[in-house]
Amino acid sequence: MDKEPITKILQVNNQIDELARVAEFLEELGDDWELPMPLVLSLNLVLEEALTNTILYGFDDENQHTITVGFSFDGEILGITLMDDGHEYDPTLKEDPDITLAAEDRQIGGLGIFLIKKTMDTVIYQRKENKNYLILTKKIKS
Amino acid sequence: MNVKVAASPDYTLVTVEGRIDTTTAAEFEKSIMEIIDGGCTKIILDCTALNYISSSGLRVFLIVQKKMMSIGGHFRLSSLQPGIKEIFDISGFSAIFKVYADHDAAIKG
Repeated sequence: MDKEPITKILQVNNQIDELARVAEFLEELGDDWELPMPLVLSLNLVLEEALTNTILYGFDDENQHTITVGFSFDGEILGITLMDDGHEYDPTLKEDPDITLAAEDRQIGGLGIFLIKKTMDTVIYQRKENKNYLILTKKIKS
Repeated sequence: MNVKVAASPDYTLVTVEGRIDTTTAAEFEKSIMEIIDGGCTKIILDCTALNYISSSGLRVFLIVQKKMMSIGGHFRLSSLQPGIKEIFDISGFSAIFKVYADHDAAIKG
């Protein structure tokens, strides 16, 4: 498909209560781009996991930071790029949890990045000019 | 997120509505832990109206499951929406929780 992609940008402060605004933004995006509701909820999950990590652990000071989230859709591939100016952190290096373990052996937590990897088709990390870029894509079945 | 609790002699039925995410998981954990601390060893969690869960919510589910196993109780889930079921499958949680199609099946066990 050679369609010119449609794009949209969301800027998020490094505060957890911003996640409510992210959910609202995604609902609007889903309406505008005619995305099915289950997909919108999946994208909400991906963004919540990525943003929660960055907001809670990504910054070494108490200052306000802005995380920029770019969305693009060409009718086939949906792309999301998150950019922040926190310390260098490559989430793709995090080891996957062992999901075959019994409840008593399962560790509490550690599922966030794994859910991102399982939900999206590609997850790429880049560090450029002191910024973290997390580049995600998902092929949308039509 | 809303949590409703209905106790009967045999089990406590907990109904959760809305989203269990980073901003609501702590409140959900507190609600469930209060029920367990109150002496309840059998909980059925009706998830009919649970339409979103993130890893923060899954974390609480695992904490509750571990707690229930340690006191010899049980924690049964019923009526998961397809999107929630998918996340349970991806996480391996479908294998570590007792998940039932509906409330009646959860009561029978």
